[in-house]
Amino acid sequence: MTHAIRTRSVKWVLLVLISVSVLFPLAWMAIAGFKGKTEVLSSPFQFFPEVWQVQNYVDILKDPEFSRALLITFVGALIFTAGSLAVNSMAAYAFARLEFAGKRLWWVYCILPMFVPSMAILLTSFVVVTRLGMLNTLAVLIIPGVASAVQMFFLRQFYLGMPMAVEEAARLDGCSRWQIFLKIFLPQSLAVFVVVGIGSYMGYWNAYVWPILTVTSPELTQIMQFLGTFRSNRGNEWGLLMAGSTLAALPTIALLLFFQRYIVAGVRISGIK
Amino acid sequence: MSVIARRARPTEETLDEAPGARRALGKGIRPGRRQENVTAYAMIAPMVILLGIFVMWPLVYAFYLSGFEISFYQDPKFVGLQFYEYVLTDERFWRALRVGVGYAAMVVPTGMLIGLLIASFIKTLSIRMAAFMKTTIYVPAVVSTVVASVLFVFMYQDQGVANWLLSLLRAGPVNWLNSPSVALPAIAVPGIWLGLGFTTLVMLAGLLDIPESYYESAELDGAGFVKRTWYITLPLLKNVLLYLFVTGLVGAIQMLDLPLIMTNGGPVDATTTPNLFIFNTFRDGTEYSTSFSLTAALLLFMVLGTISALVFRLVNSEKAMDA
Repeated sequence: MTHAIRTRSVKWVLLVLISVSVLFPLAWMAIAGFKGKTEVLSSPFQFFPEVWQVQNYVDILKDPEFSRALLITFVGALIFTAGSLAVNSMAAYAFARLEFAGKRLWWVYCILPMFVPSMAILLTSFVVVTRLGMLNTLAVLIIPGVASAVQMFFLRQFYLGMPMAVEEAARLDGCSRWQIFLKIFLPQSLAVFVVVGIGSYMGYWNAYVWPILTVTSPELTQIMQFLGTFRSNRGNEWGLLMAGSTLAALPTIALLLFFQRYIVAGVRISGIK
Repeated sequence: MSVIARRARPTEETLDEAPGARRALGKGIRPGRRQENVTAYAMIAPMVILLGIFVMWPLVYAFYLSGFEISFYQDPKFVGLQFYEYVLTDERFWRALRVGVGYAAMVVPTGMLIGLLIASFIKTLSIRMAAFMKTTIYVPAVVSTVVASVLFVFMYQDQGVANWLLSLLRAGPVNWLNSPSVALPAIAVPGIWLGLGFTTLVMLAGLLDIPESYYESAELDGAGFVKRTWYITLPLLKNVLLYLFVTGLVGAIQMLDLPLIMTNGGPVDATTTPNLFIFNTFRDGTEYSTSFSLTAALLLFMVLGTISALVFRLVNSEKAMDA
């Protein structure tokens, strides 16, 4: 009995220890946001603020550049996610269920991008979008990343595992492939759409290098672009920057907490392939 | 290009309706191959076209440009493999590669070791505690690299929390990001932190696949945690470890955001990873820098692309054999 209690308390101690050290940097970021100008980096060192003040959070939210960046990135991420799901699930269904001429060839074509490191095409992608006159538009942030080999592969794996029987019955009733896809497959894709959709959303929300290459107009500045260039634009306003970073990290953390079960399962599948 | 996409749709719909009706009349008529073709092409068309414009064209274009001298003043001039030679004989390219490998050597094994330990711990927990732990460990993974970069720069300030922690141990202070020998490890820390969640969850999934009876009999024989890990866990986790190691390596060598924001490659190029070297060369806009950076990117791509394709095949075929 005492042995069991001891094991349990050791487990609790370890659990708290690991959680605290993993989450410490984020907590530190949030705490720094509550500190006054002189407290953020002071010597002697000060762990908690003298007075917890929300000034930094209020100031950064009132900053038109920051709030605009939050809003425009959010809108862009939603369009991006919806577009990715539409384009990739359609292709995934075709590759999972239809037989067509040149299927193998097109499969290789669509899956090849998984093995192309982003840097190999980043520079010429920039040249391409420049030639297409897409610089400084919302389109340049959204469209180039919509078709995703990884996401399509993941969705196809899922569709391959769906039972054939319902589909065959629908075929006999004269349903077209489009009807089957829209009325049978899509409604059952909700869980897997949550997993890959969150992936798309985070990919867009957290993007940095592509926005700083293709967008210079302040109206389109993306949230990570704003944070990454904050110090060179505004100097070392650490309290403000940490408050802004905390606010920018919150949406993705909230998504994780809300959909934790789906995401944990998704990592499992994607990791094992 | 969008014209093609727009045109493809109505055609497919009209063709789709007609044969469907025909089949309803007489079953037994061979299902129209053409119909499946048209439907299938309509379904993959958006993806194929988008990948064509934003992946294939840039890729082919990169190979094409790497064979030409490009400058603002004259037409592109074909120079064959000359740029490949320039890159391969450039000391800075090799240096960047060494930095990339050094960074990966710090991030990947450390991340895997910590991941394995935490995953082993999670496995022993009750369902509710395990769920809590799995979510907690995954939180850094959803934080963007930019936020992590900015945050760790803040923590690495002279009067920051990193030096305060050291002072508790009566060590330091360390000039984290400005001394050439410390800067790379200092950047590796957020690298490990960001990747920990994924590594741990994949490890955990691998661990849960190992039959519990193996451990029970080993425990009866008096094997402790270390022995059980060494003789049971690691050998049976071989595929998972290999997968994590190689994808981790390929990913880590390509790290760009962390050094770009935290140090911009300094001090004295100590944190210039291959991608940062390529990115900065491309942006500095001197003569031929476009062709030069493209060629360097392609060389890197060939090596890393081959590695990841090989591993993908390997892991996939092993899996197929299991099934």
